[in-house]
Amino acid sequence: MKHKLLPLSETMHYILLALREPLHGYAVMQKIEKISNGTVNLAAGTLYGAIENLNKHGWIEPVGESGRRKVYMITEEGNAILKMEQDRLLHILSLYEGSESNEEV
Amino acid sequence: MKRCKTFFDIEKEEQWLNEQLQKGYRCTNISGLGIYTFEKTDKKYVMRLDYQDYLPKKKFNEYKGIYEDFSWNHIKGSWLGGIQYWQKEDDGQNQIFSDRQSRSNYYKRLMGYSSGLAIVFLLFSYMLYKDSGLYLAEGLWSMEGSLFWKAFLFETPFALLRLLPAIMAVFYGISYYKAYRKYSMLKE
Repeated sequence: MKHKLLPLSETMHYILLALREPLHGYAVMQKIEKISNGTVNLAAGTLYGAIENLNKHGWIEPVGESGRRKVYMITEEGNAILKMEQDRLLHILSLYEGSESNEEV
Repeated sequence: MKRCKTFFDIEKEEQWLNEQLQKGYRCTNISGLGIYTFEKTDKKYVMRLDYQDYLPKKKFNEYKGIYEDFSWNHIKGSWLGGIQYWQKEDDGQNQIFSDRQSRSNYYKRLMGYSSGLAIVFLLFSYMLYKDSGLYLAEGLWSMEGSLFWKAFLFETPFALLRLLPAIMAVFYGISYYKAYRKYSMLKE
């Protein structure tokens, strides 16, 4: 069966992308606001729960502390997930272009 | 201003609290016995209620830290678990959950909480009634005529008191069902 977090929700996707550099929770929210052109504004409970969840599954990990805040970064496993999602989305995008792929038949 | 109230439904409680805040108050304290303290303010505040199970102290501080970064103030709630009361000045970003997944996880936590309490109260009721039934008075049911009615009426308040755990079990059963309904709607 597919992992229960897959396909990635918009929130999870943005967090994993943001955490390709080490950041604490609040900075993750700020970065996501920027890279999503202001379309994704994470709320506190959502951010906390998502970080907990991603950490539990080993896709991100704490790498240090900045004051009282924990700093997280994506793990190798997390990067592998992003690669998978990228392939999935690229395939869907290729269907948008109208070049119906018959390779897998 | 102090108000005394009891809630069995976390969403009704949240709604009531926000109604008070809209009248120009902010909440300064909530005591365990259901006493809510408010003070007058010129600013507009909002409150949001979250539920968390037991969290180790470190985790709980991390949880609080993230909310505080978003300028939420922790009014009440313990790391041992329970409802977490958050208040902030109304700045247009007033939700604590911004996507379906986290909102449905919240209802899932609520389901665990209310079903747990419902089961505790059910067991308690069972232990309370299994030997004696609801009325404790000796020989009540063999009395006759006006003596019976007098004794019956006298005993009824005590019986109702003994019924309390069963009533609580029903209340928590209902809130479980409500949370389940919302959870399954979000899962669709």
